[in-house]
Amino acid sequence: MTASAAVPAAAPAGAAFRAGLALSLAALLAGSAWHLSGEAGGSRLALSLVFGALFGFVLQRSRFCFLCVWRDFLDRGDPRGVLGILAALATGIAGYAVVFGAWLPDPSGTRLPPGAHIGPVGPALALAGLAFGAGMAVSGSCLSAHLYRLGEGSATAPFALLGSALGFVLGFLTWNPLYLAGIAEAPVVWLPRYLGYGGSLVAGLAVLGGGALWLLRRWPPPPPPSAAVTDPLHAVFVARWPTWLGGLAVGAIATLSYLRLGPLGVTAEIGGRSRQAASALGLLPERLEGLDGFRGCATALRDGLLTPNGLFVGGLVVASFAAALAAGQFQPARPGRGHVLRGLSGGLLLGWGAMTGLGCSIGTLLSGIMAGALSGWVFGIAMLVGITVTLHCGRSLRLLA
Amino acid sequence: MTTMRKILFRPILAGAALAALLLPAVPASANAGATSATVPLRDAEKSPLVSTGWLEKNLDSPKLRIVEVSVDPGVYERGHIPGAHNAAWHTDLVETVSRDIAGPEKFAALARRLGVDRDTTVVLYGDNNNWFAAWGAWVFAQYGLVDTVKLLDGGRKKWEAEKRPLDTRTPEVAASTFAVAPASTSLRARFTDVLAVARKERDDKILDIRSPDEFAGKIIAPAGVPELAVRAGHIPGSVNVPWAKAVNPDGTLRSVEELKALYAEAGIDGTKPVITSCRIGERSSHSWFVLSRVLGYPARNYDGSWTEYGNAVGVPVVNLAGTVWGGK
Repeated sequence: MTASAAVPAAAPAGAAFRAGLALSLAALLAGSAWHLSGEAGGSRLALSLVFGALFGFVLQRSRFCFLCVWRDFLDRGDPRGVLGILAALATGIAGYAVVFGAWLPDPSGTRLPPGAHIGPVGPALALAGLAFGAGMAVSGSCLSAHLYRLGEGSATAPFALLGSALGFVLGFLTWNPLYLAGIAEAPVVWLPRYLGYGGSLVAGLAVLGGGALWLLRRWPPPPPPSAAVTDPLHAVFVARWPTWLGGLAVGAIATLSYLRLGPLGVTAEIGGRSRQAASALGLLPERLEGLDGFRGCATALRDGLLTPNGLFVGGLVVASFAAALAAGQFQPARPGRGHVLRGLSGGLLLGWGAMTGLGCSIGTLLSGIMAGALSGWVFGIAMLVGITVTLHCGRSLRLLA
Repeated sequence: MTTMRKILFRPILAGAALAALLLPAVPASANAGATSATVPLRDAEKSPLVSTGWLEKNLDSPKLRIVEVSVDPGVYERGHIPGAHNAAWHTDLVETVSRDIAGPEKFAALARRLGVDRDTTVVLYGDNNNWFAAWGAWVFAQYGLVDTVKLLDGGRKKWEAEKRPLDTRTPEVAASTFAVAPASTSLRARFTDVLAVARKERDDKILDIRSPDEFAGKIIAPAGVPELAVRAGHIPGSVNVPWAKAVNPDGTLRSVEELKALYAEAGIDGTKPVITSCRIGERSSHSWFVLSRVLGYPARNYDGSWTEYGNAVGVPVVNLAGTVWGGK
């Protein structure tokens, strides 16, 4: 456990109140899911809320944040967080392969597995990954982490999410020229089509395993600041989970979500609502060429108040809030000028990158790599480059911590 | 109990509540509520419809093939009627490049994969009130599979509402030897047929099943739809009965008497041949199924529909809204 990830000691005073509030929130989520499941056609919505809540709980408990773990590695040589991300990818790759094998026994034809996030690969995707990584470095998180940090009372997250909505609008405005310049002809590469499910699984696990072995050369990591707590309840609800445990849970949730609903993603609702608002204000081009035909976090116009992705994101935030309360990690801060500026400007880059890349670190990177999509790997590598270069430049200019 | 214990006891409850969230993820009991008033008429050998109750009783019948044709990809994979096969409308049932129904070779390959012979009873069903399942039935009919092909009355909507079991496994059947045969022309109307009606050279009725606003020419197509036409309106000689008017709230088709009355109001009573039409020819196959298979009227489906006719050069159109041409 690093210094920055140290768990604040929860004071006994107020613990009862916090636990009661956390319990009420969990009951609210459960009640909402139960109510939705009783509505006609509501089982999909109820399940979206449930998966969102589980995802938010896991993200908050394990600090599953791409920027944080990469920064831990860059700054302190601590590989544990990155190993956790690799664990999530490995679990998801295996889980997806099991589902794919049942749904599309022969991957060699022209068909793609239904709904899987397999996007076009080209310079625009790399640019999207770079921008997204830069936005993470500036704003301090990726979009999924901003969402769970919203539940922790982050001062930056609201502005980053607002900025990302604006970034989406910017992405819609630049979409047509980018589409005509390259995305239209960019190949949609699904690795199992060329390697088979077995080959794709082995190749994916080999790359992740190779990365893990390289990271393990840094073992042992710096010692944790406090002694490990052995009480299991404390370990689950108060102490930070090791990232590998969060990673295993994320991989399992991703697989189950794909099996029952669709690939994990957190930007479809933000993108869809941004598109709706921009369209109502007359800011969008008449047509977004080819956009709705691609796989990824769909930003097609919303036709209802409650959507699966909206409930997923809502469940994520509320469950993260409940988890943070129970752990004594809900620490709202008054936003300063820096929070606003970094949030809005980083969010703008996050939004543009997520729109142009048809998803974010969850929808394109995680769900893409798990599905055997080359687009997931390209976006992921570009994102890491974007983070690293922006952190380096920002620190040189004394703009970033 | 120590202070620390007190602090830790409460989160247990929070955890228990989170665990309770998982309840909706558990699939419904296989037999819960599986009681519905079956309509014997719809289960008879010659009926074009089967009820959900009849289908559940006959799931294991060896001469029965259940095939899902849903609008949305991924619906079948995430849970289908046990033993059902999947037909993807956008790849299995069409020629993707030439805007045509699946050709003889492609259709025969599909029928063989599904283990369908000419004497196999095929039950089609799908989402969206069997919209694409009916289109599948129309495609099957082009290759002579007419009386053996039935729709599940109420489709997925009713099956799910009755909490009947779903399965995620893909069945395996021995391939059939379905022979390649040319498509029939008797149940399909072409551009020249509707043009002849528009020019009063033929006395068929055209049933346009689009929305009243599309029919009147107020709009070319519903919002967000990519397939458009240069002009708005309808083919001269058409009457308008939106396709969904044939369906009850539970997804089942209305009774024969109600359906006859519905179409009689629009002047369609089976005495004259009918051509069904819409925007791209898929929803109209639902009305084709109702007219042709359920009511026994002589009916053909015009799959070119408004995207072909409304874009054609030199043809008459009717535009009640006075907005024939988009230019100002």
